[in-house]
Amino acid sequence: MTWIPYKRSWDGIDSTGHNVNAGLLEKDRNLYTIRAVPLTDVHSIHRHAPPLGWQYVIVVLSSGLAHPPLYFYNGGVREFLATIKQHVSLLRSRDDANVFLVNDLQDPLQKSLSSLELPRAVPGSNGTALHSSISSSFSNETPGRLNDATVDGKSTTTEYNGKQKQKFNDPARDISIQVLEKFSLVTKFARETTSQLFRESHHDSSNSYERMQWMNSGSINMASIEPTIKQKVPDENPATLDSLQVDKLSLVWGKARQSPLNYVEWATFLDSEGRVKDSEALRKRIFYGGVENNLRKEVWRILLGYHAYDSTYAEREYLASVKKSEYDVIKSQWQSISPSQAKRFTKFRERRGLIEKDVVRTDRSFTYYDGDDNQNVTLLHDILLTYSFYNFDLGYCQGMSDLLSPILFVMENESEAFWSFVALMERLGPNFNRDQNGMHSQLFALSKLVELLDSPLHNYLKQADCLNYFFCFRWILIQFKREFEYEQVMYLWEVFWTHYLSEHFHLYVCVAILKRYSRKIIGEQMDFDTLLKFINELSGHIDLDGIIRDAEALCVCAGENGEACIPPGTPPSLPIEAESMYLPQDDDL
Amino acid sequence: MSYAYLFKYIIIGDTGVGKSCLLLQFTDKRFQPVHDLTIGVEFGARMITIDNKPIKLQIWDTAGQESFRSITRSYYRGAAGALLVYDITRRETFNHLASWLEDARQHANANMTIMLIGNKCDLAHRRAVSTEEGEQFAKEHGLIFMEASAKTAQNVEEAFISTAATIYKKIQDGVFDVSNESYGIKVGYGGIPGPSGGRDGTVSQGGGCCS
Ligand SMILES: Nc1nc2c(ncn2[C@@H]2O[C@H](COP(=O)(O)OP(=O)(O)OP(=O)(O)O)[C@@H](O)[C@H]2O)c(=O)[nH]1
Ligand SMILES: [Mg+2]
Repeated sequence: MTWIPYKRSWDGIDSTGHNVNAGLLEKDRNLYTIRAVPLTDVHSIHRHAPPLGWQYVIVVLSSGLAHPPLYFYNGGVREFLATIKQHVSLLRSRDDANVFLVNDLQDPLQKSLSSLELPRAVPGSNGTALHSSISSSFSNETPGRLNDATVDGKSTTTEYNGKQKQKFNDPARDISIQVLEKFSLVTKFARETTSQLFRESHHDSSNSYERMQWMNSGSINMASIEPTIKQKVPDENPATLDSLQVDKLSLVWGKARQSPLNYVEWATFLDSEGRVKDSEALRKRIFYGGVENNLRKEVWRILLGYHAYDSTYAEREYLASVKKSEYDVIKSQWQSISPSQAKRFTKFRERRGLIEKDVVRTDRSFTYYDGDDNQNVTLLHDILLTYSFYNFDLGYCQGMSDLLSPILFVMENESEAFWSFVALMERLGPNFNRDQNGMHSQLFALSKLVELLDSPLHNYLKQADCLNYFFCFRWILIQFKREFEYEQVMYLWEVFWTHYLSEHFHLYVCVAILKRYSRKIIGEQMDFDTLLKFINELSGHIDLDGIIRDAEALCVCAGENGEACIPPGTPPSLPIEAESMYLPQDDDL
Repeated sequence: MSYAYLFKYIIIGDTGVGKSCLLLQFTDKRFQPVHDLTIGVEFGARMITIDNKPIKLQIWDTAGQESFRSITRSYYRGAAGALLVYDITRRETFNHLASWLEDARQHANANMTIMLIGNKCDLAHRRAVSTEEGEQFAKEHGLIFMEASAKTAQNVEEAFISTAATIYKKIQDGVFDVSNESYGIKVGYGGIPGPSGGRDGTVSQGGGCCS
């Protein structure tokens, strides 16, 4: 099955992947296309015919993943289903007349449950892999708006003026998010509730009208159409699930995590000269499982962009030797500063003093850096001080040593660690800008994502005057370095560095964690102080794989709308104009 | 554990002056030279007794890094007490006090009790700020003052407790409307939500050490 959106009218879909199409730019088409999915991978099709607004269907795959809604602006759902029926058996669910089970002849409910829970029940299973990548965008556009919206959404080079991109003027987008949310709420509690889970949420006309109004004012609100689902929890009375309780159910449909990439598999990604054959496939593989520790040295340099994906073994080796001498030159710049020169060089002394004080307070309980006179601590110092000369405008700021520590541990080589760190700082450098604009833009994007993906929490935080999201400061500044074990941090970072679903996957991880505790935060009416303390104390208690899966689900679910929450140039995106990357630090450090 | 009052404290001052060490010494009674630098904020808590009343101190240890200030300032909100720390062996940490103080006054409540601490007084041989200068600064700005050492634990208890005693006295004197939580005070079991004839705690104030 293929879905290729067509401007102005529903155009067609067939089982062979061929499609008629007209009036679309190539680029736009790619954006909204669902590439061929074998019908054998489709679990069910859910039809939605809201009293107001467009009809749409949602295609749920056997893996439990759901595609974004496919909108039918001029009718055609019936024809669509009829077409599908020519190719596979289509069975109307006993429990919901709008659910059509594909290829599912025996005990549909049972099977649907097991397939929906598969990712959790069979960890590490590859059997559920999709044949197509999920398009993270939503389907058709409102007639006449297509070009606008797509150019708007994808171009990161366009000028960025406002604080936020006003992209939420399409009601379809809003609803789609909401519906996808519903799909995501299948959990172990779901056994008793499945029959009601996919039911249309009842929104009346006034509701839709209001939503239009919100859309027009540039904000979106999903709280008003939270689904009503019954939940049965053993130790609680069955109760109607209100918008707060929804969050108790965790998302389950991020894909099962895989084992880390190992040496044998890594070799299959390379051609005979060492080039990565398919960088997309590699990034995807690493996104779903990380990398074995002994491979990190090689893989990280590529993920970080220090080595190009299409570089050969020989080119990498050559670059390393060139870069080694380059490093030595920069390092000699500060090494050659004599004590009497240093005496007249306050900025240098201050930076050096700060670095000296910080490297002895970085991961000292980790074996690689423990003990007195540890040579690796000296290396941390030398690399950071060299970096502050390499990038004198940015200099040194606390948090950098946290970022460097795992890199040096992995590289075990001063120059290679330095250049890998440089590559990382190309993207994360703005986190340390003196004016904190890099941090503020990420916190702002986070608030927009929460507004989109967890509007009850957003509304609560707004009312509690917590929308600055300062309680997530540490998470973002040092990429969760303090929230997980050392090994887990390295794994999470390589997932981030793939930029597989989004450059800003770390923000979705923030949302995923907040969403897990959303009910608690709202239920206990946490104020800023309590929330900050609560978030701080989550350190070491976060289920990493579960959170990555939730974040994946949220990221797919938010799709285009999610990316629209994130202003262009928000770190770790490369800045829009290279020159504006670092504002010279105007005072002492 | 139940308390009569809960006081929110913040610890502020330049990076590396020993804020985290002071906190750890106070809450765990140990000096831990190898611990991580602070990013954002960290928390500690301890029960103390003043005037026979159990008082819980909830302490926010903030990051000293200059460029985080725009964010760490937001943590000052609603603190009843502040420990403003400098390092007696590093002159610049003393020179920056005025700007810390201004920040605190601007972003915390006006009645916040501030204790100035000259830390690392075990390193008297490397002293760069005299006790008198510390005293003078405190006097000019209406702060309580002590020199202390997170390493030897000298004056650490005293600093935290006498700050609490001062706050407690202010409560007794009716300076605060304790029902208003923006003062950083929560009333628990046995706390008197208003002025009464109670008297000051057991701890004396002020004075340098090891000068
Ligand atoms: N000799 C001595 N050293 C101390 C004392 N207090 C702290 N130190 C040392 O000073 C260094 C910095 O102490 P921290 O407590 O980490 O400093 P901080 O003020 O929390 O710094 P930031 O978290 O960066 O704001 C540590 O390496 C301690 O070993 C003290 O009383 N005496
Ligand atoms: Mg600290």
